[in-house]
Amino acid sequence: MWEYDFMQNAILSGIIVSTICGIVSVFVVLRRSAFAAHALSHMSLTGAAMAMLLGFSAILGQLGVNLIAALAMGFLGDKVKKNDLAIGVVLTFVLGLGAYFLFLFQNNYSGGVLNILFGNILTVSKAQIYLLIALSIGILFILSICARPLLFASIDPTLAEAKNLPTRFLSIIFFSILAITVSMACQIVGALLIFVLLIIPGAIAGLWCDGFYKSILVSVLIANISVFISLCVAYQFNLPISFCITTLMSFLYAISYIKNLVFKS
Amino acid sequence: MIECKNLVLGYNKAISEPFSLNLPNNQWFGIIGENGCGKSTFMKTILGNIKPISGSIRVLDKAPGNSNDSIAYIPQEREINTSEYTSGLTLIELSYNGWHCGIPFLNTATRKKALDILELVGATKYMYQPFSTLSGGQKKRIYLAQALINRPKLLLLDEPLADLDPEAKQHFIETLNKIHKQHDLTLLIISHDMHQIAMDLDGYIHIKDSQVHYCQELPCIREGVYVGI
Repeated sequence: MWEYDFMQNAILSGIIVSTICGIVSVFVVLRRSAFAAHALSHMSLTGAAMAMLLGFSAILGQLGVNLIAALAMGFLGDKVKKNDLAIGVVLTFVLGLGAYFLFLFQNNYSGGVLNILFGNILTVSKAQIYLLIALSIGILFILSICARPLLFASIDPTLAEAKNLPTRFLSIIFFSILAITVSMACQIVGALLIFVLLIIPGAIAGLWCDGFYKSILVSVLIANISVFISLCVAYQFNLPISFCITTLMSFLYAISYIKNLVFKS
Repeated sequence: MIECKNLVLGYNKAISEPFSLNLPNNQWFGIIGENGCGKSTFMKTILGNIKPISGSIRVLDKAPGNSNDSIAYIPQEREINTSEYTSGLTLIELSYNGWHCGIPFLNTATRKKALDILELVGATKYMYQPFSTLSGGQKKRIYLAQALINRPKLLLLDEPLADLDPEAKQHFIETLNKIHKQHDLTLLIISHDMHQIAMDLDGYIHIKDSQVHYCQELPCIREGVYVGI
């Protein structure tokens, strides 16, 4: 199956996206930002609808809208717990805009919207892979500068504030990284199933190990292995890839959770 | 150590009259006053989190906020977001230099410092235990280890004895006393249990009716006998 171009593109984009999602997922779980990931994925629908309406590629629209929303969310709520309200306000406004764009684009949007909602890794082009690589390098570069204060502010926000860390700025940085990651992951699993790559790997890692690097390693491995196995299974049995990824990851989470219950008892 | 000249405390509005203080090194001071009188505001001003309304303050010969590694702080209320397995040791290592740019690079020297501090505060036994499963007293010891890992010159404690049972309070006070005696450390503590640490304190800052006073003994506060420092 690897002789086909679309499969080569699919596995390459899968590795890139699941590696970045595995890293970001650890921060999402630590910062309790599942709602932010969910909100950004829904807002990316608005970005994609707007891009299609204007004749651009969907991922550019998703990136644009998600980054603007990330700035607003980070600016409105700098503390970890305060963020939910800010996210809710921004989500409502952007989703309303999305409804308006879809209304304007109502003649021929159903195929494109379905791809955004559920993703289609098999349609990823070479140009999209280059874009994914560029975005990944951007995220890794930002993290190489601010991973330590971001981790500190995520785990211990009170002390981070006392140490005069710019927690609002770090919040904006985190949401921007999340916004870019969501736009990337939408190509693989779609806006509706984004949780699977942005939350479950980090959540599973949190159930198995302590320490930043161990968590990142486990999270990245789980995301990569799941995407690889899902791609193979989906090809062999002609199944939707999103379905395979979500089923496998949910199963892995369930095993980890049960292991944790048994271990604790 | 801490020099205040005509300092007026407050967020946007003044909550104290101008006052001047000069707190020397290696002593242990208590800050007392009723709820909402400005005790925590004073600490946050020392940390540089809040700018004073007027007057000047110098901490360790620098403007507040410029001595991050030399000032340690244990806040009154703490929000810790950990995963299921995050241990106290991980938290301590992270607080070694968590506010510096870069990736969380850990080495054997950091680990050794963390282990030494854990021994000092008596928390070695449960250093690998998940933080979320520790008791209130054990968590306080981890917070203390976090605060001490950089060998600070000034330690600020905001209500460290709250929510502790009498035995845990006694242990915590004994540990503070040991650290104060062994290291060149100035301690500034806010507590509603001052009578429990009165024996160890060198002086008190009393905030009442927007006035900030200094006195050397607890009974003087009741009698309103203040001295300048």
